[in-house]
Amino acid sequence: MSTVSTTAPARADRTTEPRPSAGRRRRREQQWPAYVFLTPWMIGAAVLTLVPMAVSLWLSFTDYNLFDPPHWVGLRNYKEMLTEDPRYWRSVGTTLLYVVVAVPLKLGLALGAAMLLKSLGRGRAFYRSAFYAPSLLGASMSIALVWRALFNDGGTVTEVLGSLGIHTGSWVGDPDLAVYVVVLLTVWQFGAPMVIFLAGLQQISPELYEAAALDGAGRWRQFVSVTVPMLSPVVFFNLVLEMIQSFQVFTPAFAVSGGEGGPADSTLFYTLYLYERGFTASHMGYAAAMAWLLLIAIGVITLILFRTSRSWVFYADEEGR
Amino acid sequence: MPESRSGPRRLPSRRAVLAAAAVGLSTALTASLSACSSSGDVSSEGVTLTFSWWGNDDRAARTKKAVALFEQEHPGVTVRTSNADFGSYMQKLATQAAGGGIPDVAQLDYRQISQYSGGGALLPLDEAVEHGTIRTSEMDEEFLHTGTYEGEQYAVPMGRGITGYAYDAKVYAQAGIPTPRPDWTWEEWADANRKIAALGLKAPDGRTVVGANDNGVNEDIFEDWLRGRGGKLYASQTKLGFTEDDLAEFWTFCDSLREEGAVAEAPDTAQANTTEMSPMGRGLAAADFTWDAPFPGYPALLGDQVHFAPVPTTDGRQGAYFKPSMLLGVGAHTDHPEEATALVDFLLNDERAGDILGFTRSTPPNRRIAARVAKTLEGAEREIYQYAQRMEKYGLDAPPAAPPRGDVALQTAFKRAYHRVMYDLTSPREAAREFIDEANRELRS
Amino acid sequence: MNPTTRRWLPHTAALAGLLVLLYPLAWLLATSLKPADEVVTSLDLWPSHLEWSNYTTALDGVSGVPVSRLLWNSLLIAGGAVVGNVLSCSLAAYAFARLRFRMRKAMFAFMVATLMLPHHVVLIPQYIIFNRLGMVDTYWPLILPKFLATEAFFVFLVVQFMRGLPRELEESARIDGCGAFRTYWSVTLPLSRPSLITTAIFTFIWTWNDFFTQMIYLFAPEKFTITLALRSFVDQSSTSAYGPMFAMSVLSVLPIVLFFFVFQRYLVQGMATSGLKG
Repeated sequence: MSTVSTTAPARADRTTEPRPSAGRRRRREQQWPAYVFLTPWMIGAAVLTLVPMAVSLWLSFTDYNLFDPPHWVGLRNYKEMLTEDPRYWRSVGTTLLYVVVAVPLKLGLALGAAMLLKSLGRGRAFYRSAFYAPSLLGASMSIALVWRALFNDGGTVTEVLGSLGIHTGSWVGDPDLAVYVVVLLTVWQFGAPMVIFLAGLQQISPELYEAAALDGAGRWRQFVSVTVPMLSPVVFFNLVLEMIQSFQVFTPAFAVSGGEGGPADSTLFYTLYLYERGFTASHMGYAAAMAWLLLIAIGVITLILFRTSRSWVFYADEEGR
Repeated sequence: MPESRSGPRRLPSRRAVLAAAAVGLSTALTASLSACSSSGDVSSEGVTLTFSWWGNDDRAARTKKAVALFEQEHPGVTVRTSNADFGSYMQKLATQAAGGGIPDVAQLDYRQISQYSGGGALLPLDEAVEHGTIRTSEMDEEFLHTGTYEGEQYAVPMGRGITGYAYDAKVYAQAGIPTPRPDWTWEEWADANRKIAALGLKAPDGRTVVGANDNGVNEDIFEDWLRGRGGKLYASQTKLGFTEDDLAEFWTFCDSLREEGAVAEAPDTAQANTTEMSPMGRGLAAADFTWDAPFPGYPALLGDQVHFAPVPTTDGRQGAYFKPSMLLGVGAHTDHPEEATALVDFLLNDERAGDILGFTRSTPPNRRIAARVAKTLEGAEREIYQYAQRMEKYGLDAPPAAPPRGDVALQTAFKRAYHRVMYDLTSPREAAREFIDEANRELRS
Repeated sequence: MNPTTRRWLPHTAALAGLLVLLYPLAWLLATSLKPADEVVTSLDLWPSHLEWSNYTTALDGVSGVPVSRLLWNSLLIAGGAVVGNVLSCSLAAYAFARLRFRMRKAMFAFMVATLMLPHHVVLIPQYIIFNRLGMVDTYWPLILPKFLATEAFFVFLVVQFMRGLPRELEESARIDGCGAFRTYWSVTLPLSRPSLITTAIFTFIWTWNDFFTQMIYLFAPEKFTITLALRSFVDQSSTSAYGPMFAMSVLSVLPIVLFFFVFQRYLVQGMATSGLKG
């Protein structure tokens, strides 16, 4: 099992295909136990995934408040969302801004930290664990509350900046800054991709660097022509993963904005708005439509990433393994 | 998939860890399953009623005590109570209504009456009221009417609240502003704010103390303002009762006062979600609009110089009115309508229950009980009781019909829309147009 | 740059990074012990005196439900989720990794596709289903899905691990006449233990931290988890209750921190040995 194979499940699937052996008879024998093993998963997939997907697609064309029976409204939810509801676009804008800023920052920092740790001799294991710790805590309500306090009036960050002559006031109360509180909370959790980067870095054979050094490549040159291509599958893996997660960020946005996406909708993340429409305002049909557009958006962006990856992701193991 | 994930891929095996985990977890699992099933049990003998409400711990303690007394008086009847905070409660009740019935007795918000009555989730109470199973003779008729839908009584108000104005009398005296009377006007109010800001008093954080909170965020105050001019918030269950011009005018009024520096700044208004965090609570402003029930929190925090005054008027016409702060209803699918209505009556009309419950749900609608409990009140609580009586005497317009189902969403939408004005992201008129569009979508059914 | 600087520079950088990174945690701990008047006014991390009463206030919990109960509730849910995920994901993974059946390719592809499915798409219908079943405001909606292997991430993780195991042991077990179930139970499962521990750890931490699902499904204060209670604590209190609020925050992350310290060794070793071998 490897990180690389995780990025390309289809390929891993192909290479580790169960060996064709035995006869047809054995194959038939093995049919039913497989389905027994899969029973819980199949029930889950059908009852909690497939059916709900179909139902939510249907609901997205209805007006449904949980209480009265749903009634069909055709494309109204989608039309309202795309053409009439300014808050929908605000939530899209906020989320995109967040994804575009937070994901590169987090991955950049993760890569930098991984390279730093690689250059450490003793203490690497310690720092790796310590840097990783925030990733386990970052999704908790407690830490989001800490963040809210640090960036509020009188919080450490505002005060320290103030003493440096940068008077920002409360970040949490400023529509231009509030979203960055969430961004920084995300970036703080760079440890998770860092661990994967570090594993990737350690995988790169030292001979490649030696060869590059013999060719007279300096540190930067080595980074560009050895580290970057060799690490590109890991970068890609992290990128896809972080991107998908970032579109769905909820808890920190909820905590930082006190649950309302404020001030002035500046932290109205997509999922927060979805929650508000569905569960606070009881417009389940509208929320279902939002979920479907989210699914489509994530699907399209993932597809684009996979498409472009062919030109920049380098699979060294393609022929080697 | 949860938001965080990360990357170790292989761990060495440790039998002890796994074994310990397995034991712990299987115990936990069995326990969790039993915890789940316990919610469905029904007492084998006698009658079990369910009763739910929202509110703080004090309300919970008092309500449970009153319920215990009811159980004592009605042997064989057990009341299972449950409570939650307002937001969860709203969602839970909606969920219960959708999934097979709300509790036998439920505390309801004014805004839920239309939806649940129209949708057949509540038991009509007309018969109980006629037969005196639920006594209403000590209640104001107009006020009782707030629990009706299309002419039928579906719920009975349980508490009576009214908007008002908490102000620092010392600062007012210092600025030479006369004590606000029930007929003071919005212009006088605006001038008062300017005068206070002109005093140049220093707040704890060094800024200048302003007149009041920026009430552009407050839909309740907008309603008072509107009513003072003869308007109303809703024309019907599907139509707003005001125009874009009305709202733009109100917001322009608020917006310009803030820009003059007479009322609180945007970030201070935005984070005012509790008394302590309000501009007044933080010493940044000399006054704040609030409801009568939470008012005692202000003098408790800031001292006895804080008093409760009426909301300003337009030419003496008061827009404030007595609003049911909550109502009691009976679930349509109850198996024990008699016991349920008896509990409703007990909570509303029993003197001992009244003593226990006190003013925890604002002023009790039963006049005799209110007067009886009021005798025991002192300080700020006495002040709000007297305030209500004074307003009654001054003369208030009748309360509006129960608001439509979309009202909860619209109240927050109102606040949000004004936030955009406050932060200069849009003009009052633009914001008003956006709000009205949103309201029309929300009210369309 | 002389060699000494060169040697110390990375260490200094790492240390500086660590301090910045851990500051919020130190702040959390410090604030949980600060007297009320120092919380907002003082930047000093160190409290003038230790205000243990913050913790006694926090232990009282929210809405009359003590913290011990809230922690227990969280533990039940996280524990149930761990058992569910380990069991159901390893069963499904074994089928995908080791057994042949006609629908294998299609099902596996579907499973991988659900890795990317935003939870929100199925959220509302799931909610409606659980509501119809009368399970809203119980722990079922939080635990039951885990017994049905709905978290594809873990199925995938275990599949990948099982594929890396040598087949010889299983084959000899089969030659000895063991059926698929015996082989799974007595050979594959014990060998897959590392991936199962990973599954258990992450299931525990994610479920513990989860806020969204708990918020949607639980209403009654006595059923609240520590995370939910923390949030309603925030709603109900003001700056004056900062100390107790953060004391409660500390209590709520404590299990994760303990988990981290206990398993940190496994995490590190696991990471070190896993490398990227295919």
